[in-house]
Amino acid sequence: MWTPMLPTRSLAWLGLMALSLAPSSQTPRPTSFSATLTSIKVTARPGQVITRQFQLTMDRDQARTHFRARVEDWWRSEDGKQSFYREPGTLRHSCAQWASVNPVESAVGGGDTLTVRITVALPVELAPGGYWCALTVDEVPDPLAPGGGVGVRFVASVSTGIFLYVDPVERHATILGLRVDGDRAVVRVRNDGNAPLGIEGRIQFFVPGSSAPAAVVDLARATLLTEPSLEGDLGVALPPAAVLPSGRYLVRAILDIGAANDIGAERELVVTRSGPANGPVR
Amino acid sequence: MPARFSKPAFLASFSVAVLVLSPAVAGAQTTVLLPDTSQTTLLTATVSEQARVSVPASVTFTVADVSNSTTANAAALTIDRIVLATATKQFRISVQAGAASFTPPVAGATTWTAGDVSWNAATWTRATGASGILSASAFTQVATCDADAGDCLTTNLVFTLGAKSSVKRAGSHMLTVTWKVESIGS
Repeated sequence: MWTPMLPTRSLAWLGLMALSLAPSSQTPRPTSFSATLTSIKVTARPGQVITRQFQLTMDRDQARTHFRARVEDWWRSEDGKQSFYREPGTLRHSCAQWASVNPVESAVGGGDTLTVRITVALPVELAPGGYWCALTVDEVPDPLAPGGGVGVRFVASVSTGIFLYVDPVERHATILGLRVDGDRAVVRVRNDGNAPLGIEGRIQFFVPGSSAPAAVVDLARATLLTEPSLEGDLGVALPPAAVLPSGRYLVRAILDIGAANDIGAERELVVTRSGPANGPVR
Repeated sequence: MPARFSKPAFLASFSVAVLVLSPAVAGAQTTVLLPDTSQTTLLTATVSEQARVSVPASVTFTVADVSNSTTANAAALTIDRIVLATATKQFRISVQAGAASFTPPVAGATTWTAGDVSWNAATWTRATGASGILSASAFTQVATCDADAGDCLTTNLVFTLGAKSSVKRAGSHMLTVTWKVESIGS
């Protein structure tokens, strides 16, 4: 009776070993999904009600996942490297308190789509200017997810912006500074208007005395809010040293802030590249 | 408001022929001109800004010596099928800890803080990575996809857990961290 049991136990033990060594148990499947990311941008009237939809579709191979939707306040640090999400009403120009979402919480299976309906009801009395908030859809951590050891468990979150403009909207900005910081060119801008500004533009580098730029770099579109800070840095990587070698340049920034006219500023700057290159110093 | 893009619009033209009928009685022939009933139907595709995102579910630190920092295996991230409103908009991905500290195996035991976790400026394809230190109060940028990129990805994002000699308890020290996918812009 004893002898036949040994192979069975051994096989079971080997099976458990194999399971514990299988890559799937050590490396959980990545979370993957598709989502709509269109910011809501509306020129609205006080008292108006706006309705939009957000959609998130899980990849087919994904496990059933819970999501929670909400609207919250949002802003970025002046250098643009950090984003902050806080309770509705943290900012004076928040639109989060006027917004509601449905459903708030849902479970989404592999291949299924979550549709969140967002409704923003503007107050009847509202000062002109820009108001903003963010629709956030968070993955809810699975309390039964396998743990153990020392580690980090990730969840995913998607945020899209909601921007409401109540006329008359004033779009004004001032370029406060222009500098080269390592291998980046940085323009510092202040929002002098009453609404968030979507800013695009370019920076041109002229060899002193030349009318044609030696190099031009485009700035990625950035958003400059009216609070908690009016100011922000717009940065862009310099062109390769072969195109823009070390040297002294007249640097000109031209920004499109969505107003009738672009704004610009220029100054002479010394560009120092880390690699050896002959510069047009004069 | 959903963005309307200049996607190809398919113009379908349906022409209706003008028929001249031949009445049975030849002496009463009258030519009747029908109005021009040519019609066009404009088909418009409204495309939302969108992307597909794939982020790791977890990383594990195999801590053999608490007095030294420990690196996790390289993590992979992919953002693809990126569709944005303009060529100058960019997609960004950032992280924030869900708590100020890891949850230790025993309540009250010394453990790591969120700020003990850092990451490298990984090599990204069609994106610029940035090194950083984890925060529980702000989402800190990990990468920004290149303007007008259809996708961006990395396979060598490495998280590091700092040395912490004061940790005395073996077992599970876990922290939940949120990947934030943002395309916020006015």
